[in-house]
Amino acid sequence: MTDEVTETKDGFKVRKLAELKTTTAKELEDAMLKRVDYFKEQNEKKSSFNSTIQNTFFKAFSSILDLKIGIDKALGPENLKQVHKAIDELLLFGL
Amino acid sequence: MYHLDGTDILDEPYYRKTFSVCPECLKKIPAVVEEDDGKIFMRKTCKEHGDFEDVISSSAKYYKWTHYQKKDINGNVVWQFEKNGEANPPDCIADDRGCPYNCGLCNEHLSTCSLALIDLTNRCNFSCNFCYANVEQSGYWIEPSLEDIDKVMKHFRSKPIPPPAIMFTGGEPTVRKDFPEICKMAKDNGFQEVIVATNGYGFQRKNGGAEWTKKCREMGLDTLYFQFDGINDATYEKTRGIKGLMKYKMRVIENCRKAGFDSIVLVATIATGVTDIEIGNIIQFAIDNIDVVRGITFQPVSLCGRISAEEMHELRITNADVIKEIEKQTGGKLNMENAWYPLTTIVEFGRLIAYLADVEPAEFTCHPDCGFATYLAVDPDSGEMVPLMEYFDPLEVIDFANRFWEKVKHKEKKPIQFFENFLGDFGKTLDDGLNFLDKTQLRARFLLGVLQYMKKPGKLMDMFSRLLMNGDWESVSSFSYGTLLISSMHFQDAYNMDVERTKRCIVHFGVAMPNGTVKELPFCTMNTLHRPEIEKQVAKAITQKVRDEFDTSVGQAREDIEIEVMPNGGTKKEEEDSHD
Repeated sequence: MTDEVTETKDGFKVRKLAELKTTTAKELEDAMLKRVDYFKEQNEKKSSFNSTIQNTFFKAFSSILDLKIGIDKALGPENLKQVHKAIDELLLFGL
Repeated sequence: MYHLDGTDILDEPYYRKTFSVCPECLKKIPAVVEEDDGKIFMRKTCKEHGDFEDVISSSAKYYKWTHYQKKDINGNVVWQFEKNGEANPPDCIADDRGCPYNCGLCNEHLSTCSLALIDLTNRCNFSCNFCYANVEQSGYWIEPSLEDIDKVMKHFRSKPIPPPAIMFTGGEPTVRKDFPEICKMAKDNGFQEVIVATNGYGFQRKNGGAEWTKKCREMGLDTLYFQFDGINDATYEKTRGIKGLMKYKMRVIENCRKAGFDSIVLVATIATGVTDIEIGNIIQFAIDNIDVVRGITFQPVSLCGRISAEEMHELRITNADVIKEIEKQTGGKLNMENAWYPLTTIVEFGRLIAYLADVEPAEFTCHPDCGFATYLAVDPDSGEMVPLMEYFDPLEVIDFANRFWEKVKHKEKKPIQFFENFLGDFGKTLDDGLNFLDKTQLRARFLLGVLQYMKKPGKLMDMFSRLLMNGDWESVSSFSYGTLLISSMHFQDAYNMDVERTKRCIVHFGVAMPNGTVKELPFCTMNTLHRPEIEKQVAKAITQKVRDEFDTSVGQAREDIEIEVMPNGGTKKEEEDSHD
């Protein structure tokens, strides 16, 4: 707990503000990445074919993700709404 | 707020008719839920006992948002937080009195059970004066046998839509020596998530507590629903009547850490002027122990029992009050207007994720008034816990998920069966391959659809996507590591009971009755109406051993306390303690 604590007249310890900050971010990130690797290995054991499909998808997914943020900024909010509508229609087509 | 933008909803006073019960005689009486002075009230009149009034929400604006119905140009509802559940076949038929008197589960019930509850005992090492579950106060002993517990578990799991999760309640469930075996029984019966509602008794032992915690985990326990009113001993003296409890609570945290147990939900009962002051403390405590704490549930106090109208108004606190207090005590970082959503927000989203990830669905079709939640995750770049809403626009994602589910839900009940019809078993193998490819392309489409609404990339969304695509409960639930689900759940009492809420309850008790049947009862009706009558039927006589087992002034077993005292009357040093 941090030091920003005040004490009320009843003897209660009250924090001024919850900081929403953790000191273990790096360890948690490492732990989550280890879990991703663990489940990747488990998947490969189940089926290398399925695993190949998923890994290929994810390489593409990560690249698209970075590109998308750049495009969003360039489009602006109104154009972005129209683009979202068109993409929704495309993704739901044929279902 | 998103759905209220551009509407006149804020100017229209909220008004709804429903039914409730008289807090004095528990008879069913008509009630209205209406807006007044910026708040939402329930008002009702009993012919015998007069008028009653209770605050349902301290924010009419927020309440109206959760009850808003978005309509198309033809006046058809296209979006609302009140969702239709898929009810299981009823166990009994309601009589003329209707809800809430026919629990067991009757045909008026609209939701399936998503969380099964079993009271393992009414023994407890504490003796909180407001608790309904207490051997001393009730005068009888409730403790189902292992056979009865197994019967209740099978009752729930045999339903067409079985609950994926089970919670053991009490009393204090961990006073039972067979508690680890009961956890294994739950896993053997197919429950995916096994939870215990506990004050920490079994886990906090100085000697053997970490080993026992590890044993419970290995036998199938997944989560501690851990009673936690705050970080000050003075708070626990007020709420539980016991001194020095913070050390006891910290031992639970430390033993979980030593045992490699990483799923604790802190549960705080919030009463005005008593524990509301601890809200910020509890959030910071959770963040400081994020390696073992997974969530916080704030429970505005539920007033089961007779109190005066004045006392009731003094203690009453609503979900909206708790959310406002959280906003205040986090400096506005968890904003009331955009960080919180009713649990029912994710009904279709949850069904879709369950279908795509090949896991059992958990149906959150409770009433919008029941509970609200927000989800924080560690931003690996800044080390700060941020609401997931900073990563994406939640209602855009939910809208897309709802439309997607509408299109694909038929596939859940009718997978591809093309080749099997004319190639038999070999054809079934080909169909399995087709179903896999079909599901993979659906996952890809859905992820791309979610991707377009993301506001910032980052490792977090990459990891979530991988875990989703791996397709099992363990990988999806492991996403919760390093995250914090904060929720506020307001259980009903006789002052604010609304049968429209009761009919949609998804948290059900199961009780093995003497006639061999299992009675299934929604949480709020069990605790407001049915508990005394049910318990009388299953109660046992209290033995002297049960009476003598706990010194409730210190929250410990008497056998543990006695061992600490040397034969010459002195006390043993801590490292020499030999109990358990």
